[in-house]
Amino acid sequence: MSAAALLVAILAALGAAVAAALHDPVVLVGLLAALSAFAAAVAAGAAAVQLRAPNTLTEPRHPQGPSAPPPLPDDVLARRGAFGRLWWIAFAAFALAGLEPLISLGRMPRRNGTAWRGGARLVTPQGTPLRPDDLAVGGVTTVFPEGRVDAPESAVLLLRLQDGVMQLGPERRDWVQQGNVAFSKICTHAGCPVAIFRHLTYELYCPCHQSVFDVLHGAQPVSGPATRALPQLALDLDRDGYLVARGDFAEPVGPDSWWRTL
Amino acid sequence: MILRRVDRFFDERLGSDAWVRYVFAKLYPDHWSFYLGEFALYCFVMLVATGVWLTFVFQPSHAGAFASVIAFTRATPVGYLMRQVHHWSAVAFIAAIVVHLGRVFFTAAFRKPREITWVLGVLLLVTASVTGFTGYSLPDDTLSGTGLRIADAVLLSIPFIGGWAADLLNGGGYPGPLLIPHLYVIHVYFLPVTIGALLALHLGLVFYQKHTQFEPDPAHVVVGRRFWPDYTLRTLAVFFATAGVVTLLGALIEINPVENYGPYHDWLVTNPAAPDWYAAWLDGALRLGPAVEWRIFGHPVPAVFWPGMVLPTLAFLLVVAWPWIDKTITKRDEVGDVLVPPTAAPWRVGVGAALVTAGVVLTLAASDDQQAVGAHVRVTALVTLYRILFPFGSIAVGLIAALLAAELRASRAGRGAERERVVELVRNAEGGFDAREPHST
Ligand code: FES
Repeated sequence: MSAAALLVAILAALGAAVAAALHDPVVLVGLLAALSAFAAAVAAGAAAVQLRAPNTLTEPRHPQGPSAPPPLPDDVLARRGAFGRLWWIAFAAFALAGLEPLISLGRMPRRNGTAWRGGARLVTPQGTPLRPDDLAVGGVTTVFPEGRVDAPESAVLLLRLQDGVMQLGPERRDWVQQGNVAFSKICTHAGCPVAIFRHLTYELYCPCHQSVFDVLHGAQPVSGPATRALPQLALDLDRDGYLVARGDFAEPVGPDSWWRTL
Repeated sequence: MILRRVDRFFDERLGSDAWVRYVFAKLYPDHWSFYLGEFALYCFVMLVATGVWLTFVFQPSHAGAFASVIAFTRATPVGYLMRQVHHWSAVAFIAAIVVHLGRVFFTAAFRKPREITWVLGVLLLVTASVTGFTGYSLPDDTLSGTGLRIADAVLLSIPFIGGWAADLLNGGGYPGPLLIPHLYVIHVYFLPVTIGALLALHLGLVFYQKHTQFEPDPAHVVVGRRFWPDYTLRTLAVFFATAGVVTLLGALIEINPVENYGPYHDWLVTNPAAPDWYAAWLDGALRLGPAVEWRIFGHPVPAVFWPGMVLPTLAFLLVVAWPWIDKTITKRDEVGDVLVPPTAAPWRVGVGAALVTAGVVLTLAASDDQQAVGAHVRVTALVTLYRILFPFGSIAVGLIAALLAAELRASRAGRGAERERVVELVRNAEGGFDAREPHST
């Protein structure tokens, strides 16, 4: 009786786990989980009735403190049967059922999208849109997509260099507008803002772990622990002559993770 | 009169009188170094006391955290002092645990039967550090936000489950809207309760198994002082001294002035950016870590995974397992109730000194950028230097410490022998004296 109930409990727990994973209706998941719990209760209760000692035992009742109950027979703790092993399986099934709520607390993989879209104007943190001539040569500023100032992981460094010093591959030639070039400000090492531009050496410097990125070669890491270039934002000009993005970054910004390639 | 009645009330119901008498009569061995753990304990008491106060004025949300900290700091001197004392207590708490751990390590107090107490103590150190980190992140200022961002990257770097783990903490993306509320409940509830439970077990074991002592123990007895009144007054003195120290520090020395850093945005950062002292070794490790990103089955394993996740895990395992490692080396598994002077086992001194050096090197590496500016050298040169010092400097210091300890032990033993040698002086032909073994009579 109790073994059968325990079997039901195990199957119901597994069923609940599968149903939850498949996003079945709440009622189904809940009913299976409740059935599993009740079946386990029946199993334990029935076993308690079966195992009950034939006669009632006594223990002296002192007014205070502990006393000595009759000693445990030796075989009680040592006894192990199929039923006991079934309980271990049941606990494993319950743990499995508990996994789904745990997993649902996070997404896997985490996707790092930014707020950049094709045609979005580059604006300063104060919201001012920028034209190619607004920055002096050697200048740098943080920009966001218009209307999305402060959007997570969307901060971009806009740099103005002399026309033609950038040494980019042919596919990135037209990502630069009159010496204006833009890179993600989120360090590819551990996500700090890459806040410092050394304009004499064309280097971007991260104050957290001293990664240095070579701007002229597409912000490739040249020193420090970073392993990946800062993603570059392709720039364009809109009809009114303001700097705009050609689209979101071609690659994820910020620190890497296992799922980045997906 | 009232006390007596209270005692009677409980005794009639619980039979507690005998037990109370036992507790009050219990003996505790005495040595100055035994008060380090108590200092840590009372730092925790101060943390709870100031922390409870802070929960009434702090707003745990991304929108309100920073503003509420500034508001209550400016509103009254008490608010400012509470925050200062809370932070200083946290810093002192972890420092006291580390020094206490060192005392236990070098005097071999972790030996059988106290391995469980050791493990609980190491868990306390880890929990306390994480509590400290979550706590100083709560004001949501630029500096701590940067630390959180790095912690997020380290979580993210775990193979397969990294994204899930980071997402769970953040409540979606980064910086997630639930990050501060999550940190808050972790900091004021989960972790303090864990610390309380670990402390209760740790101290319960010290009580139950009795404290170790330096006094030799041929008769297998505890040599110590009564709990009441000797020890009670001593520990009371330690409590008030602790309260005095952290209050004085809080009153005089500004710590973590978030009002100078400003509120957090993921695109702003302070320069320099370095964490509280107990987290600095991990920051240093991230700076020294190799710039390699391996791929496993085509999936990246980011560079931060090795120094940020693997290194601390290995360090933790090494320290937790120390009693068993020690057993393997000494080939001794007897009960060790009597402490040994550190010099008694030079090799252990060497291992301890090497570990401390490794930690110090990583901690120093966490401010390599400032050192580079101060010393007018390139930061990459310092990185190279620390990369060399981390393994080789640690080993060298360990060896020197072991040799020194052996030397010290030898000279002690020598002096002891000298004192006990009795010689007979005999006139020789040149008119001087010769020492000669005394005639056995
Ligand atoms: S976050 Fe930029 S170097 Fe580590």
